[in-house]
Amino acid sequence: MALRFLVVDDSVTMRRIVINSLRNLGYDDFIEAADGKEALEKLTADSSINFVITDWNMPVVSGLELVKSIRGDEKLSKLSILMVTTRGVKEDIIEALQAKVNNYIVKPFTPQILKEKIDQIINAA
Amino acid sequence: MKQVNNMSELFDRLNDLKAVFRYGQKLIPIIQSIIDFMRDTVPLLEDINHSIADSTSKIPKAQDQITNVSSATELATTEILDLVDSISADIVNIENTFKELQKEEEEKGMLWAQIKSLLPDSAEAAELINKFENGRQFITKSSELIEIFQKIKNDVYNITLSLQVQDITSQQLAAVTHLIESVQKRLASLIVHLDESDLHGFEFQKAYSTKGTTFDPDARYTKSTERQEVADEIINGALNKTSQDEIDKLFS
Repeated sequence: MALRFLVVDDSVTMRRIVINSLRNLGYDDFIEAADGKEALEKLTADSSINFVITDWNMPVVSGLELVKSIRGDEKLSKLSILMVTTRGVKEDIIEALQAKVNNYIVKPFTPQILKEKIDQIINAA
Repeated sequence: MKQVNNMSELFDRLNDLKAVFRYGQKLIPIIQSIIDFMRDTVPLLEDINHSIADSTSKIPKAQDQITNVSSATELATTEILDLVDSISADIVNIENTFKELQKEEEEKGMLWAQIKSLLPDSAEAAELINKFENGRQFITKSSELIEIFQKIKNDVYNITLSLQVQDITSQQLAAVTHLIESVQKRLASLIVHLDESDLHGFEFQKAYSTKGTTFDPDARYTKSTERQEVADEIINGALNKTSQDEIDKLFS
């Protein structure tokens, strides 16, 4: 299945790093959003997006709120969601999991971890 | 008899009064000390108030400087990423051109093998053929060069990955700004009784608020995999559960 990624992060640097990493892994179809609100707008407008990689700490609508909105929306609920965040404490990871993220990466990430988590999500789908 | 009793009571009261005066006389130096102490303390308190006002007025500048540092590092990181992308694109171009040359050289090699078979079987021809073939090192060297290209690409990509430090330090700086803001609010509450002139140049509502920005105060740039391992343990534990109810029970 061809993957179309939505990379959500308020840091331009991080978005570029994630996209460079995806490109290095052989993926070439991605769009970007700077916060959860913009991400939801893009998801609503573009039904071909099937994989969301999102940060947690973002203004306007946070990554966690984005995950909850996606899971609560009948049309979007089946999307694959990978959270990539600096938040590495157990309580945060559990909260993200309860919001139904598919997997979780603690920044700074390595390309190996990114590949491993994407593969895990794809294989579980 | 009643008069005697009254007189006795009067003396008792006078003695009480005398005791009060004596006690009062003892208290006078203490009260004087307190007055002196207060007199000395007032300028000190004023100094403290001025210091607090001065420190508070400097806080916006400190926040401003931190914000500038964050913006500067973001700008520098973007410039580095632009350069890295440009280098990566150049390397890919060079590598592709090189692979085309490599392919051409292989084709030439096949043509050369055909030509060689048509050449006369003479010692002079054999010597020239050897000389020519020894000079053609492109194919043998090319695999080494391809490896070098790959190494450069990896190094450039690793530079990109290292730039994650910018996002993480930005969050750490945002946390510091937030902390300064909290101190500012506390100090502001201490100096509300000061004369407005003491707050010259200081605006409480100045737009340095970190409100609206989000950050992780525990953000860390580390090569340690410890935090990822914790995440993996939790996520993998949950992935083995078949239903959301089971996941919720796991963490309840």
